[in-house]
Amino acid sequence: MVFPAKYPQLNDTSLTDDARSVLIRVLRVAFPHDSFPDGPYERTADTIMKAAEESTWFRVSLTQGLLTLAHLAGGDFRDLDEDAATSVLRRIESTEFFGFIRRTTVLNLYDNEDVWEAVGYEGSSYEKGGYVNRGFDDLHWLPEPRIETYDGGPIVEIAPSFLLRPTNGSSGTHASGESRAAANIDTNTQPGATSAEHAEVSK
Amino acid sequence: MTALEQSDEAIVIIGSGAGGGTLAYELTKRGIPVVLLEAGPYLRNEDYVNNEWEAFNQMAWLDPRTTSGSWRIARDFPNLPSWIVKAVGGTTTHWSGATPRFKAHEFATRSTYGRIAGANLLDWPITLAEMEPYYDKAEIAMGSTHVHGRKPLPANNNYKVFANGAERVGYRHYSTGPYATNAEEYDGRPASIQDGFNFQGDKHGSKWSTLVRELPRALATGLLDLRPESHVVQITHNAAGRVDAVLYLDAEGNLQRQAASMVAVAGNSIETPRLLLMSASPMFPDGLANSSGQVGRNYMRHTTGSVYARFEEPVRMYRGETMAGVIADESRHDPDRGFAGGYYLETISLGPAFLASFADPGAWGRDFTKILDSYANTAGLWVIGEDLPQETNRITLNSAVTDRHGLPVPNVHFDDHPNDIAMREHGYRQAELLYEAVGSIGAHRAPPYPSTHNMGTSRMSEKPEDGVVDKWGRAHDVPNLFVSDGSVFTTGAAANPTLTIVALAIRQAEYIAEQLKSGGI
Repeated sequence: MVFPAKYPQLNDTSLTDDARSVLIRVLRVAFPHDSFPDGPYERTADTIMKAAEESTWFRVSLTQGLLTLAHLAGGDFRDLDEDAATSVLRRIESTEFFGFIRRTTVLNLYDNEDVWEAVGYEGSSYEKGGYVNRGFDDLHWLPEPRIETYDGGPIVEIAPSFLLRPTNGSSGTHASGESRAAANIDTNTQPGATSAEHAEVSK
Repeated sequence: MTALEQSDEAIVIIGSGAGGGTLAYELTKRGIPVVLLEAGPYLRNEDYVNNEWEAFNQMAWLDPRTTSGSWRIARDFPNLPSWIVKAVGGTTTHWSGATPRFKAHEFATRSTYGRIAGANLLDWPITLAEMEPYYDKAEIAMGSTHVHGRKPLPANNNYKVFANGAERVGYRHYSTGPYATNAEEYDGRPASIQDGFNFQGDKHGSKWSTLVRELPRALATGLLDLRPESHVVQITHNAAGRVDAVLYLDAEGNLQRQAASMVAVAGNSIETPRLLLMSASPMFPDGLANSSGQVGRNYMRHTTGSVYARFEEPVRMYRGETMAGVIADESRHDPDRGFAGGYYLETISLGPAFLASFADPGAWGRDFTKILDSYANTAGLWVIGEDLPQETNRITLNSAVTDRHGLPVPNVHFDDHPNDIAMREHGYRQAELLYEAVGSIGAHRAPPYPSTHNMGTSRMSEKPEDGVVDKWGRAHDVPNLFVSDGSVFTTGAAANPTLTIVALAIRQAEYIAEQLKSGGI
């Protein structure tokens, strides 16, 4: 195995087929979907390798990362089972190498019809007339709910328990806009004495 | 379309979204000519695509921005603090449509909630009673369902899970709206075909936006000079301290000057303060209209979070209107829950591409992939509540990073207030209980997305020392400068902001028209 050169200008390390195959295994372990065929992972690996071609920094970190995975794996990373391979990836998850793979995968793996079909998403719908006649309301395992506004009276906007509290000022009396003008309101935002109820929150 | 001379002093509006687009229509329909500068391109409904990333790259404001603070966005999406639109129609082309009103006490939070440490609460200089007629006008303009005789939208699959869960945990104030998308033909626009791509622009034109309503009507008056791809760099002023022109970059990057008799800024709550700060001058050294020091401060983004719950049976949440489901029971003020203010629960859905990116940024492994594996059987909702204004949550100019024009980018600093955290936790818990009540077999808490609701960076105040604009959105310091977007929000309330932005813009247009007539501007 050839390690990348020390100086970027000397580094024309190209990612080999072997490296690509390790990368595909990394993707399978980091983003395991039992229902996904190999296609989406291969596609995503190629996207990552193409992105790496365009950035020296990503290329060297990707190349170096894929080569040295074997060191942590104590052999070929591809030979590890999912649990062992996941443990190896957990150890490197904060590296630039893994971050680059993770970000690029999240952005690309799930942005394709091959994956949408596997997870049950139908993609673009406008040209098919939307879902108005194609099941936007076909859920039948729950009763039909009310869609109208509740007719049992308006919402209580300020909790009665708050309004009933003893206050020595105007706090909590503004259930309607009109009452504001009449009350002598403390709107001071500066530190100092205040007659307002202190609705302090602690968590 | 009438082209106005650049040397003629015009009424200039910056931004064509909920605030700017509405103001442009309300002024032109009264016979007042307007130059409307929009930073983004003129996309039409037919240009939109039913694909999450493609639409995002087509519509979103992607100019570089930086972030700081303890919010998770600064780690996960350091250059994408907000998810808003750069195109004609602004973020009304991306919004989903929920239109609850503010409550009376939400215009008076300082006197209702009292003093809360770390929060820069202030009462609005206006009341719900003053706003009610304008809320009516805005709801009629936008075609909000459930009010003014507009039919409710039908229950989609995601709503059926949401509403049944709501009923079983004892909530009563749930429904499929109010929601500004047509359930049946209205105002010359068709009924929704439930295509599920609300965030991607709505190809059908059933959803209200200034792109489909206010802007075409303003253009039809012959009095609107709409200039897309015009990115404003600075507002200049004369020796009397009145604004006299706007400098902007055209599509080719050439600097243009439009003389102005009046300027209204509606660039959303990051670009609006950025522009005021970039307009600093010897007379206004801290930025235009910033004698209070409040320009850029009190940035609010709503306390949000999503819960995605898994079921044994299919849900297919992506089919149909994304946010046509609202629960208002938790929108009350009830400090016994452990926080001030309230929140709504609203249905939400993301496709696999966006769910993978936003469900738990940075995550991988089986815990992560099972979120996607359960996609077809997943129901989703969004917690959206009032976050508290803090002076230190603010937009500043980052002079170390410039955009492609060489202009300083805005930095967005945000820390959650303890009240925000307590509210989010409560919302997550209630959402999980709601879904458990209808049989969920697991749920995932997704953190806040890049901000879609941006508010409060040029706030309204009674006194000039407390805020940037008065109760009409008129700058305290500069008589012919207005702010016309969500930046003017004194506090954020629990409700989605668009309806209130539109209502304020209608009200502001009435005031500006009167003032122009009486020589008050």
